Amino acid sequence: MEQEDFVVQMKGISKVYPNGIAANQHVDFFVRKGEIHALMGENGAGKSTLMKILFGLEEPTDGEIIVNGEQVHLTSPSVAISKGIGMVHQHFMLVPSLTVAENIVLGMAPKKSGIIVDYKKAVEITEENAKRFNLLVDPNAKVMDIPVGMKQKVEILKALVRGARILILDEPTAVLTTQETGELFKELVSLKEQGFTIVFISHKLNEIKQITDRLTIMRNGKSMGVYETAGISEAEISRLMVGRDVVLSVQKEKSKPEGSVLKVRDLEYTNKWNKKVLDGVSFSVRRGEILGIAGVEGNGQRELVEMLFSLNVPDAGTATVNGENILQTEQRAIREKGVSLVPEDRMVYGIAGPATIEENVISDRYSKKQFNKGALFNVKGIHSESDHLIADYRILCKSRKQQVKMLSGGNIQKVVVARELSSKPKLIIADQPTRGIDVGATEFIRAKIVELSRAGAAVLLVSADLNEVIELSDSLIVMYGGKIVAYFDDTSQLDDMVMGEYMLGLKHQTDEEIRRVCYE
Amino acid sequence: MSNRRLLVFNILRGVAAIMLALAVAAVFIFLTSKEPLTAMKYLLLGPLVSFKATGLVFNSTGLFTILAAMIPTIFTGLAVCVMFSANQFNLAGEGVVMLGGFVGALCGIYLKINSPLHPVVCVLVAAAVGGVIMLIPALLKVKLGASEMVTSLMLNYIIMFVVLHFLNYNFADRTKGSTQTYPILDTARIPEIIANGTKLTWGFVIAIIFVVLVALFMYRTKWGYAIRMIGINQSFAKYSGMQVGAMIVLSQVIGGVLSGMGGSIEVLGRFNSFLWKELPGYGWAGITIAILAKNNPIFVPFAAFFIAYLNKGCQQMATYSDVPSEMIDIIQAAIFLFFAAEQFLAKYRQKIVVKNTQMDLANQAKAAANAEGGSH
Ligand SMILES: Nc1ncnc2c1ncn2[C@@H]1O[C@H](COP(=O)(O)OP(=O)(O)OP(=O)(O)O)[C@@H](O)[C@H]1O
Ligand SMILES: [Mg+2]
Repeated sequence: MEQEDFVVQMKGISKVYPNGIAANQHVDFFVRKGEIHALMGENGAGKSTLMKILFGLEEPTDGEIIVNGEQVHLTSPSVAISKGIGMVHQHFMLVPSLTVAENIVLGMAPKKSGIIVDYKKAVEITEENAKRFNLLVDPNAKVMDIPVGMKQKVEILKALVRGARILILDEPTAVLTTQETGELFKELVSLKEQGFTIVFISHKLNEIKQITDRLTIMRNGKSMGVYETAGISEAEISRLMVGRDVVLSVQKEKSKPEGSVLKVRDLEYTNKWNKKVLDGVSFSVRRGEILGIAGVEGNGQRELVEMLFSLNVPDAGTATVNGENILQTEQRAIREKGVSLVPEDRMVYGIAGPATIEENVISDRYSKKQFNKGALFNVKGIHSESDHLIADYRILCKSRKQQVKMLSGGNIQKVVVARELSSKPKLIIADQPTRGIDVGATEFIRAKIVELSRAGAAVLLVSADLNEVIELSDSLIVMYGGKIVAYFDDTSQLDDMVMGEYMLGLKHQTDEEIRRVCYE
Repeated sequence: MSNRRLLVFNILRGVAAIMLALAVAAVFIFLTSKEPLTAMKYLLLGPLVSFKATGLVFNSTGLFTILAAMIPTIFTGLAVCVMFSANQFNLAGEGVVMLGGFVGALCGIYLKINSPLHPVVCVLVAAAVGGVIMLIPALLKVKLGASEMVTSLMLNYIIMFVVLHFLNYNFADRTKGSTQTYPILDTARIPEIIANGTKLTWGFVIAIIFVVLVALFMYRTKWGYAIRMIGINQSFAKYSGMQVGAMIVLSQVIGGVLSGMGGSIEVLGRFNSFLWKELPGYGWAGITIAILAKNNPIFVPFAAFFIAYLNKGCQQMATYSDVPSEMIDIIQAAIFLFFAAEQFLAKYRQKIVVKNTQMDLANQAKAAANAEGGSH
């Protein structure tokens, strides 16, 4: 074999988790210096595991790792960092109550006279590096207040500040809008030009084609080989990943909407920083229709969804489901009206990590008659319910008793989606329903949403993925600056460019046109 | 995968943790004592063995006394399991035990029920009072957001002084030298299972029944489920539509009921009258026990046995050697450390797992090969 310039060589890596799952089996993974290398595979294929091993978070059961020609034992992240490896995780690892600067220097904090953290210095470091790497962040903002796009940059900066030359990004774009992704890609390419090596995990084939040089495909814990990105088609990639052809375009018949289920009128909300986040938002979602909300993140979508599930309190306005108020009530009452929600942040609301899959999928229905026998649970009924959902939604797991936090990221999302779509909902609020889910499962979940809507459910779909909103929705509204700026009652003729102009606030429809979305 | 091996491993791990802790204790004893071997002997064997001239003799009385000592702590251990499962760090079990004992005793003195139901009524009243009193920290938490840890801690002392006040000024038997109530009626006493003076009463059986009931409640009912989910992730529970506030209150009320029961059963079984003049310590023991049992009711009796054994061993050691009984704190702390350390012996465990998995994978491959071979 010709000697190539590899920065990372992982040879024959195996990993058996304490619960007996063989997440990696004799995986070879070689990364060239200065390339952007994609790691691809279905949910649970073992991508995150392999990267956690490279970052010293998990110890391999077998195999050797060579970094910059030197055999290394990555026993902890600090060892990995000292070898110039940095990682941005699938789920954010920032401390929400601290500022950006504090997060960036966390654990390596510059000390004034030894003990007191020198905050000024932290801000300086942040600003200096932000400029140097062209990753613009606000050092003084609290992490909980910044949009996800910026959080992602903070994570990357954090790794770079620690001296990373090899950067592992685990699904960095799953949470980003098209614009933010574009921006991130520019930054990644510029890092590559400065000689950084990047390992990039994503389920989005177009992104992979766009910026990576080579890619390694994993399936069921094994490597399916490494390919030059230019020499392989998207279809081939997905065939290697899934083992069959995947059709991502949604097949759906035309919707026949009738009667409004959700009616939102004049919703107003000013957040605690005095920013008007929702400004007179009014719309209806009808039976049998999927209404999409497009918009750059931070234009009120998140707050809107929170209000509709009583997780936040609006200043004014009304929202009703089949005529009954859903604002400022209990979630129990909302669910009883047939509303279900796939929340944006699965780790906060979506799951109880240390609980089992079974305990997670029954959380909205455990008190129903069919799952109880007198005072006791109907254990059989609960088992069969969870086994069904696991099979239906193809949740990759050992058994229903597996802890949810031990599932792969995409499979955690499937747990949430399985619960929310299976409760015979009349109104489904789906906030980024396919985030982090592989192509095969995405196809399946989209089909499921269409199926439910055609069977009479009303669906409100929020997604940062513009393709997804356009493809999946029957009609669509665009939010900008807390307002609805456009309504399209037919999505079949829409194109990205026009949408982009509305999303960036360059254009908006007349009030008349927008008011059409308020059906009775 | 053979789970049996892992189970065996987990039990061995527990034993190893205890051994190591005892080894730590031994070091301390050897450092501080002039007669370390005697001290160790009484600590380790004293609770169950008599040292006769003829040799070691199993001491059944010792076993009975240990089981008897477990009665109140099983109840408080269960109480803490339920409350901690809901992530409610309510520490008022201690005070409620005292209150339960007091209320139970008063019912045993002043209610005239001439039937075997008498102790049942006493215990039920004590349980009810215990449940009601726990409403204070629970409602303060749910309605006002006051930390249950702080309010329950203060509640302990309020309860103690209120009980002592009533004991001193309203219910004391002035004919006795020390402050105590009038004698509890015979009809209200909880009898021993075998009348041998070890105080191993039917309360023990009730305690074991409650272990099963609480385990069922926590793992087989919708309320127990909701309590556990709230303890794991309250936002998730709320979003799922659980009645978070109600369940937080319920968990603490149950904690109060169990503690109240434990206190009254202890007093009606062990004493002739109510004579506690300070907090009895069972509530604190319950916390230790619940932590050792990892909040799982089924493990509570084992943890309670262990703590009772240790207590008795330390008493014996303090009586028959020069080591102070405070040594128990050091031993307990050491055991905590080893028990709580998830990583303890993790390497060895991992080896078992890897072996199992490799065997599984090999079997699967073989099965696949066979299936293929068969189709040819
Ligand atoms: N901490 C853990 N303990 C036990 N098993 C785990 C743990 N983390 C992951 N697994 C299991 O290992 C397998 C691989 O998971 P991994 O997270 O590497 O997948 P992934 O390829 O990153 O998937 P995704 O695209 O969904 O993020 C899965 O079957 C998962 O259940
Ligand atoms: Mg992953």
